[in-house]
Amino acid sequence: MVMELEAEKSLIQAESSDGPNSNSSDLVARVRKLLFRRMLVGIRDGRFFLGTFHCMDKQGNIILQDAVEYRSTRRSSTSPMEQRCLGLILIPSSCRSSCHVGCAIEEQLSLLKL
Amino acid sequence: MADDAAAEVFVPERTSIPSGDDSVWADVSPLLESACKDLRDGELIHGDNFNLFAAMSALEIMDPKMDSGIVCKYYSIDEAIENGAAPVPISINKTVDVQCTIDIMDHLLACEATWHKGHSLAQTVFSCIYLLRPDRTSSHALLHSYCRVIRATCKAVISVVSDARTHEEDDLFTMAYGLPLDGDGDEKCLSLLNAVEETISRQLRACKAPSSRRRVLEDMEPLQTNLDLEEGYCKALLCRLRFRKHFYHVLTSMRRPQGRGLELARKHIATCISELDCIYRSSDFLRSSACGTSEDGIENRTTASGCQPIGFDASLNCRLSAPTPPRAIKILSWKKAIEYFVKLLHDLDIICSYSLDPSLEGVLQFVVQFQKSQPDLVARAHLQLLLVQDGKLYGRDSMFTVITRAAVLPEVAKNHDVQKNEYFVQLGQLVINMLKILCTNAAWQRRKLGKMLQDWRVIYVQLEIAFRKEFGEVSSIPEDENFCVKIFQHILLWVEEQTYWIASRFLILGFELELYSPSEYCMVYWYIYVVLIKLSEKTHLKMAAKNDTGKRKGKKKRDSPKDVAREYRIPPAVLFLQCQICLAEGLTMMLAALRNEHMILQSRNPFNTEQERFIQHFELLQKACIPDHVSFHSFRESTTYARLSTLVMYNYFKDAQRIAKEAKSSFSNDPDKLAELRKIEQVAEHNSIALNVISRVGALDPTLKASFEFSHHPYFATAVVKRS
Repeated sequence: MVMELEAEKSLIQAESSDGPNSNSSDLVARVRKLLFRRMLVGIRDGRFFLGTFHCMDKQGNIILQDAVEYRSTRRSSTSPMEQRCLGLILIPSSCRSSCHVGCAIEEQLSLLKL
Repeated sequence: MADDAAAEVFVPERTSIPSGDDSVWADVSPLLESACKDLRDGELIHGDNFNLFAAMSALEIMDPKMDSGIVCKYYSIDEAIENGAAPVPISINKTVDVQCTIDIMDHLLACEATWHKGHSLAQTVFSCIYLLRPDRTSSHALLHSYCRVIRATCKAVISVVSDARTHEEDDLFTMAYGLPLDGDGDEKCLSLLNAVEETISRQLRACKAPSSRRRVLEDMEPLQTNLDLEEGYCKALLCRLRFRKHFYHVLTSMRRPQGRGLELARKHIATCISELDCIYRSSDFLRSSACGTSEDGIENRTTASGCQPIGFDASLNCRLSAPTPPRAIKILSWKKAIEYFVKLLHDLDIICSYSLDPSLEGVLQFVVQFQKSQPDLVARAHLQLLLVQDGKLYGRDSMFTVITRAAVLPEVAKNHDVQKNEYFVQLGQLVINMLKILCTNAAWQRRKLGKMLQDWRVIYVQLEIAFRKEFGEVSSIPEDENFCVKIFQHILLWVEEQTYWIASRFLILGFELELYSPSEYCMVYWYIYVVLIKLSEKTHLKMAAKNDTGKRKGKKKRDSPKDVAREYRIPPAVLFLQCQICLAEGLTMMLAALRNEHMILQSRNPFNTEQERFIQHFELLQKACIPDHVSFHSFRESTTYARLSTLVMYNYFKDAQRIAKEAKSSFSNDPDKLAELRKIEQVAEHNSIALNVISRVGALDPTLKASFEFSHHPYFATAVVKRS
């Protein structure tokens, strides 16, 4: 509830800003700060990929470096996971279902804020 | 407020993915989404280390061609097993169980052949769930023993191919990536197999015995429940088990050092081939007793019965064939798999029948002849390991021994201290490399042979310098030093000869690989001609030196006219080269004359000049100065004035025929050389006739054109005269 209100507030702020540059560079700059950090991306088929955030484009396609694939060994949610290394991967935004970044507890608030 | 926010934080469902010490996962999707909106078209968020070209090599997730982990039917092997994908026993109905077991055996044979041909283990043999979980089959003796022997066989083949270390060119097929190749107790696979074979043999005897005796053997449980089919199934199983057993023996026998197991291997090979024949013939019975198979696509089926085998799923394993993208592969049909194994066994048999000729010349001739049948990787790897073991020929003759023998030095030379000289050591290594390369496939071989030429040239120069340094000018040298001089001289000559031999192989392989266009044949034959001239020169000198040595060692005899005549006889090896020289020269001149008189069917190449093509084809030879003082200009000089009228007067092809005929008498006990000479004669004859026809009729009939085909010989072309 709190998050949604915060989100709404900053969206309104964005729309009513003077020029596109000041806010956009702010958001883009914040995403830039996430580069080289550990990112966990969930895929629609249930797999997860953990790697270093390497690149993102306007469509939301993400490139992870030194990625590790995690997948469960059974259809059911409670089951051990298998992992394997893949290296450099590209995750199209269309198949991405979630995206998390590892951070200190204090930091996570600022990350959630828009 | 902070607490509320913390409660709203999303964590991934699977908390088993660690985010690190004192850290949590924070959802950044909303942030990313908003940031994306603010990006301009084509703008990327990336760091300083980003390289677009490198980024293009990233694996795209959910693209079937790049992502081997896409979840399909089963998440894992264990899930597949839990869902009954690989039941043990396969069926409670013993007849069905036997049928299915035979199908599994057949499909595994097809998978194995596919693997040998260059696909990954994971997608072929180890697409079998039974093989992936070795312990599950222990209650099913037949399946268990069969799986064991398959694993042991695969391990043996991987060992051979890895040791040969020339498989990179044939699709890395040795990587096992964590597949269970080392089954516990697989070494005992044969004893298990024998036990099962024994049981089935008794079951076969029991079902064939007349009913009175059957009562005595009643305690023997039949293989399966349908008595009419008992004999057929027993036989079908027995030949399959026996094939596996003997094939494993072939592999282990051939690996015995110094070729000690070759004779035994031949016996096993013979048994394998006859068992394969039984396996092939069992398909009629298996197809008729199988249930629900249509006649459609029977040719592509991977089993004798035509049924789909139970317990195979290539997708479960595709993650284990990473990092290569999981290309979908087609498993060879069962019939093609049998054909593959029959050919493999024949190729292995040729290797096993090899006499282990101690002369290098013999080895080279054998390898070249063997390669003509286009053997596959497994056979070639076995040949290489037979030839080169522990840095010695057949694991017994040191390279220096081989070289001194090849350089026609007396036996004692092999013990001379000079072999410790670093250049002789290097030379030995070059010979080893050459032998290994000659066992690889044609394309790889040609490339490596071309690169090798430089090394051989360099070693020659180094040896020559060392020789000069050691002995200065050859004059008034004391007796024991004289022998060292002789060793150097002989070996230097031999190095040259061997270098030209390599060059000739390099050029000839170009024809096999179809690297030359018809408009380039003229320059290629010309180069072959100049190289062969040098080769025959060196060979002749070497043989003359041998006779020299022989004469000095022999007692002084009065030279009878017969002896003199014998002495001046050209050695057969040189004759053999000479007829090829005539053929090459004849073809060069004929092609040049035809081109000069505009009678050859050829299209102009718009891309580069003849000189450029000359340089491209012969760059490696030119760099290594093989031979010296040979260039495009010398080629042009030799061929610019070629005319048909002069060629008819001096007919190289007639010379080739004459010399070939003379050489035949010396090779009466060498069928391969005889066959080669016969082919040379045929090419010479046909070309001679063509030359006559075209020179007489060509001037009068402008529509007459000549084209060149390899109808009688793999690399000497025959002219075909036609009206265009």
